[in-house]
Amino acid sequence: MDKTLPEKIRENFPNADVSSVEEERLAVTVPKEELIDILSFVKNLGFDHLVMVSCVDWIDEGQFELVYIVTSYVSYNGESSGKGRQHIIVKIRIDRSKATFRTIIPVYQNAEPYEREIHELYGVDFQGHPRLTPLLLEREYPVPPFRKDFDSRNYVKEFFDSIPEIEEEK
Amino acid sequence: MRELELYFGPQHLGMVGNFSITLSVEGDRIVKATANPGFLHRGFEKLMEMRTWIQDFPLVCRINVIEPDSMEMVYAMAVERLAGIEVPERANYIRSVVLELARIQSHLFGLWGYSNLLGLDTVAQWAMYHRDLVLDLYEELCGGRVYHIYIWPGGVRRDFPEGFKDRIVKTLHTIGNSVPDYDSAFFNNRLFYDRAAGIGVVDKEEAKELGAVGQVLRAVGEKFDIRKVEPYAAYDKVDFDIPTREDGDAYSRIWVVRDEMIQSVHMIFKLLDQMPEGEVYNRVPNPFKWKVPKGETYVRVESSRGELGLYMVSDGGDKPYRVHFRTPSYTHGLILLERLLEGASISDVGNIMLSSYVVAPEIDR
Repeated sequence: MDKTLPEKIRENFPNADVSSVEEERLAVTVPKEELIDILSFVKNLGFDHLVMVSCVDWIDEGQFELVYIVTSYVSYNGESSGKGRQHIIVKIRIDRSKATFRTIIPVYQNAEPYEREIHELYGVDFQGHPRLTPLLLEREYPVPPFRKDFDSRNYVKEFFDSIPEIEEEK
Repeated sequence: MRELELYFGPQHLGMVGNFSITLSVEGDRIVKATANPGFLHRGFEKLMEMRTWIQDFPLVCRINVIEPDSMEMVYAMAVERLAGIEVPERANYIRSVVLELARIQSHLFGLWGYSNLLGLDTVAQWAMYHRDLVLDLYEELCGGRVYHIYIWPGGVRRDFPEGFKDRIVKTLHTIGNSVPDYDSAFFNNRLFYDRAAGIGVVDKEEAKELGAVGQVLRAVGEKFDIRKVEPYAAYDKVDFDIPTREDGDAYSRIWVVRDEMIQSVHMIFKLLDQMPEGEVYNRVPNPFKWKVPKGETYVRVESSRGELGLYMVSDGGDKPYRVHFRTPSYTHGLILLERLLEGASISDVGNIMLSSYVVAPEIDR
């Protein structure tokens, strides 16, 4: 692991909370305004592979945590140098009741489907995203279904316990 | 020329799997392609949040029908990291053998689909037969042909049965002996070259920009393989090569698949030779009361289609707080495929899709 990396991040982003989750995994929590800057910064450091964008619903704190995991593409050339194992987990918190944030497509193009999925499953609105159209789900839900306050059992009971009426075509 | 909209799949002869693409076409040229996943969405990640750590095991393998073992592996690795469970040395070797067998059968399944698509049905039948031989091994090992539920946190569910090593060797010899047949009937076949060369070309920069992994990346000459970059199980104990090609088209991708299968066969022989004796399972606490410490982790393995990752958060309870799979088909099927299809011919849709190894259940989850 590159020992100087946490220092570099702290130097450029004084508001960032840098901690090592475990070996080779660095967690960086930043204020949401700085996310695009820090992603561009680590991309320039060689972290050119956006692994995934995820979202965690911390319902007790009233916040969504958006998680961006980046690492680097490393070509294997004969010896295992350990380079390329390092991941940076960049995290931001956004307000649960006002779930809007900016897209990161200008920095990492392959964030597009991930943001679409989070929009659909958690109801987070990504401003600047070219198409926030439905991706996986079949129908509309009263609450986005992956939120912790979505009552799946109740929903299944209401929706599937009875045989739905067939609408006559006019 | 007039632009038409064409619905390609999920009920279409040229479409494999539960996946659909909406094509805007001019003549037989594709102007724009829009991927529509979701036909298999089962909400596994949500279901897993409602079940205990051990109850998630029968679920996790069902995410990917074709290669359930790497799903089990990535889940087991994440739980082991969070809970701090050690895995016995022999179990690591067994895991590697099982994962390589899974890679072979998954590639054979992919070859079945691909050669069927090109009309080379004989090769498809061979591939299906050889895949079945590998599934027979699985059946003997754990009782299930498709879903194995074999790799658990702390090791594997049970040791190899008596004489199992010999049967693995025998099966692999059967498959290996037919490589010349495969070569003459398929890989060196003019038909394959004519249909696949120059189709769905992606260059190195674009592949990286779009988050490509696996064969797609290795077919542009990038030696990116998690088994080497971040070794897990027993992959740092054996020597193997990462086959690559330079052209980045469908032809290169399928050749990479062929070479990978051969590497896997050699690797299994080496693993079986070196396999130590000993325990295969470290006991986990009582599953009904098992609480995994608070924390988060990201682990990844090299599945047969590329980097498969899992981001897992635990809040210290008896169930995972959040699980999110990063599947290789997700970026391949949703943005890379759309990009590759622009300007392609309608007859090449399945070709491009299968050669970049898009598997629908992985996208939907």
